[in-house]
Amino acid sequence: MSESHSDSPPPPVGIGQKLEPYVSFIGPMAMILAILLFMGIAEPARYFRSSNLNQILLDAALYMPMAMAMTFVITQRGIDLSIGSVAALSAIVMAFLIKQYGFPAPVAALIALALGALMGLLNGLVITRLKVPDLIGTLAMDLVYRGFALVIAKGLVLARFPDLITEIGRGQSFFYLPTPVVIGLITMAIGYYILTTTHFGRYTIAIGSNPEASDMTGIDVDRHRIYAYVLMGTMAALAGVMLTGKLNAIQATSAPYFNLHVIAAVVVGGTSLFGGRASIVGSLAGVLLLSMMINALVTLRIEFFWQSVASGVVIIFSVALYTWLQKKDRDGSAGIGSLFASPAQSKTFRLIAMVAGSLLLLLLLGWLLSGNVKPSG
Amino acid sequence: MTSDSESTNHSAVPVVRMRGITKRFGGVLALDNVDLDARAGEVLAIVGDNGAGKSTLIKILTGVYQPTSGSIELDGQRFEMSSHSDAIAAGIDAVYQNLAIADHLTPAENLFLGSELTRSVLGIKLLDNKRMKDTAVRTLKERLGVELKSMDVPTESLSGGQRQAVAIARAVRHENLRVLVMDEPTAALGPQETSRTLQLIKSLRDQGLTVIVISHSLDDVFEISDRIHVQRRGRCVGVVETQTTSNEDVLAMIVGSKTTAAA
Repeated sequence: MSESHSDSPPPPVGIGQKLEPYVSFIGPMAMILAILLFMGIAEPARYFRSSNLNQILLDAALYMPMAMAMTFVITQRGIDLSIGSVAALSAIVMAFLIKQYGFPAPVAALIALALGALMGLLNGLVITRLKVPDLIGTLAMDLVYRGFALVIAKGLVLARFPDLITEIGRGQSFFYLPTPVVIGLITMAIGYYILTTTHFGRYTIAIGSNPEASDMTGIDVDRHRIYAYVLMGTMAALAGVMLTGKLNAIQATSAPYFNLHVIAAVVVGGTSLFGGRASIVGSLAGVLLLSMMINALVTLRIEFFWQSVASGVVIIFSVALYTWLQKKDRDGSAGIGSLFASPAQSKTFRLIAMVAGSLLLLLLLGWLLSGNVKPSG
Repeated sequence: MTSDSESTNHSAVPVVRMRGITKRFGGVLALDNVDLDARAGEVLAIVGDNGAGKSTLIKILTGVYQPTSGSIELDGQRFEMSSHSDAIAAGIDAVYQNLAIADHLTPAENLFLGSELTRSVLGIKLLDNKRMKDTAVRTLKERLGVELKSMDVPTESLSGGQRQAVAIARAVRHENLRVLVMDEPTAALGPQETSRTLQLIKSLRDQGLTVIVISHSLDDVFEISDRIHVQRRGRCVGVVETQTTSNEDVLAMIVGSKTTAAA
C-alpha cells in the first residue's frame, strides 16, 4: 500500500501521462491552432481582421455563462436541453416589462435572471422529485418554456432596448474587450472558484463520480443537483439578456440551438458526459473553439446550415476521443506511443479512422449535392 | 451464546452488544433473533455462506438498515439509529466492499467527503483544500503507515490497496471511532496487498479499535481474528475463539453439519 509496496508497480511516468490532466485544455487548443493555421492559409485577410476577431469573441461571450453552468450539470451526470427556451422566455418577459410596462432596464434584467433561476428550479424539481430522467425532463420543459414564450410574444419581434441592455449585449466599455466578453469571463472565473473551493463544487464532482457513495457519506444529492439546474437556468437567462442586447431585438423563437452548442463546447472541453470529470477552463476553450469554427465556416462562405453539421460532428468526435482516453486509462497502457501497440487498440484506431472517413465522405457528398440543386418537378 | 461470550477472557462490557436482532424484507426473514458481541481491541470475524445474513447484520450495526426487532447497545447504553450518519456520530463506521470512493476526487478530497474542512473568507465558508490535504497525509501516515506518491491525482489512479487505505483513513479520521466494520476487505486484492491489509487490520486493533470483518476467506479470518461469529441462514450458529478452533470446525458450522459453539 505504501510506496515501497510493489505489488503492482506504477508504470513509469511518460510525457504522455504528464500531459494527461491537461488534455481537456490541450485538445481544444490544438484544434483552435489547426483552425488558425487553416484560416491563415485559406482566408487570412478576412479571418484575421480585428473586426472579425471581435465578432468571434462576441459570439463566444454569449455561450460562456451557459457553458460554465452546463459544466456543473454535466459533471453531475445531468443534461439540460431547455436552456434555449429558458433564455428566450426570460428575455421575452424582460422585453415586455421594459417595452409594455415601463420597467427600468436593471430591474427588468434582474427579474429575467430570477425567472431563469425559477425555471432551473422547476427543471431540478421535475428531475429529482418527479424522478423524470434529465434528458426527457428538460426536453419536455423546453417545450413548455418555448410554448409560454410563444403565448406571450405571439409572432412579435420586440426591438430597441435601453442602453444598459445593449451595453450588456455588445458594449465596448473595456478598451479592447467587448462588455459581454468581460461578463462571460467573470462568470467563468466565478465558476472555477465555485468548482474548486465550495461544497457545491466538490459535491458536484462526487455526485457525478459515484452517486451512491456520495449519498452514503451524507451528501444531499438531490439538493445539489437542483442547485446545478438553478445555476444553469440563471446563466441561460443571462445569455437571453445578452442576446437581446446583442441583436437589440428578441422574439419567441430566438436561441433555438443554445443547448447543443453549449453541450458541444463543454464536452469538447473535456468535461465527461459520464460524470465526475469537470473542466471549466476546458469549457472556455471549447466555447472559443466552436465560435472560431462557426466563424470560419461563415468566412469561407459556407452555407449557414453547415454549422449544425459541424457542431454535431465535433460532439461525436470529442465524446469518442474522451471515451477512448478513459478506456486507455483503465487498461493501464502508457502514453500515446502505445497507440498502435496492441491489436485491440489498432483496431479501435482503424474504426475511428473509418468513421472519420465516412463522415468526411458524407460532408463531401453533401457539399457537391448542395451545389447542384435542381428545382424539383 | 450469551453466557458463552460472558465467560471468556474479557469480563468488561462489550463495546457493541446486539440482542435479538430480527430483520424481515417483506416476507423474507433475513435475520432471525441474532445476538452479537464485539469487545474493545478485538478483531471479530463474521463468516457464513451467501445469504447467511452477514451483510444485513452489519448494515443494521452501521445504521443503513433498521432492524424489525431487537436492540443495539454501545458501551452498555441502548441506542437507536435512523441513518448511517447516526452510526458515524456514535463511533461506528464501515468500509464497504466497493469502498464508496469517488474515483475522480483526490485521496484527500475523498477522505473529507461529506465533512470538509472550511475556512471563512469574508463570512463565506470556503473549502480549506490545503489543510485537508495536510491532514490526509498525516492520517494516512500516522494511523495506517501509508505514504502515497502523489496526493494530487484522482483516486482511480491508485492501486486497490491504496484505494482501500483511503477508505479506511476516511473512517479512522473521526476521533471518536470505536468500531470499524470491514466488508470483504481482501476480496479485490492480490496476495501481497492482502497481507498488507491484514497487517493494517491488526495494527488498527492494537490501536484499540474494535474491528468487525466480514470475509469469505477462512485463511484470512484465521490469520487476523480473535473470535469468529458464524452465520447460517439468518441465524447465528455459534461464536468461537479463533485460537482454540480449526478451519474445518468453522467450515462445518458454515455448511451446517455442526451447530454447537466450540468455545
